[in-house]
Amino acid sequence: MTENKKKILEMLADKKISIDDAYRLLNVVDTGESGQESPPKTEPGVKSSHKYLRVTVLPNADHEDAAHADRVNVRVPMSLIRAGIKLTSLIPPEAMDKMNSALHDKGINFDMRNVKPEDIEELIEALGDMEVDVVSGREKVKVFVE
Amino acid sequence: MNMPPVLMHVKIKSINSSFGLWLPLFLLIPLALVVLIILSPLILIAIIVLWPSRWGRLALHALPMSWGVFCAMRGLKVDIHNPRESVFISVV
Repeated sequence: MTENKKKILEMLADKKISIDDAYRLLNVVDTGESGQESPPKTEPGVKSSHKYLRVTVLPNADHEDAAHADRVNVRVPMSLIRAGIKLTSLIPPEAMDKMNSALHDKGINFDMRNVKPEDIEELIEALGDMEVDVVSGREKVKVFVE
Repeated sequence: MNMPPVLMHVKIKSINSSFGLWLPLFLLIPLALVVLIILSPLILIAIIVLWPSRWGRLALHALPMSWGVFCAMRGLKVDIHNPRESVFISVV
């Protein structure tokens, strides 16, 4: 652990900064340490090359009961995710407040009102780097973007 | 704006029964358009009446956004199997 990270954690422990600030600072330190520049922001209107979000659940061949496992293959177009996120602008402010407070109760400090069209493209671009691979019992779950 | 989907394929299978349907969405779009045109005076009145309470503006935006969601459904595929049942939905 570097000195910078220790300082951030000490500041958090002393309650000089919030958890969100600490998280942001740690990300900045990580980016600096790895010597990588932050990924370029996607310009509004420029669509990402990823077309589909895929969710697959396949039987785990190593499991003895694999023959009875469920098989799921879902392909969601990115345009549908984009349209779905845009639909959040139709949510009435009262409902949005309730949603935000429910998220806050779960420990998620996220305000849906802050989601802007340029953020959607950035979010979808970032989804391209995501891959979830879970092997659990008789099933293998995979979430990825193609 | 994407092209609207043309067909929807729904297939549901269980041990006892099987059901499959090709839904020609391209034929339903003109029908929906006719219904929308017939109902447009009522929709317009509702939007004007609800405008001060912000619901009117939401209703006005809901129409193009719903169309956007409908068009974005092209390429959606859901395929779920288990030993007893299976469900397949595809929008092309």
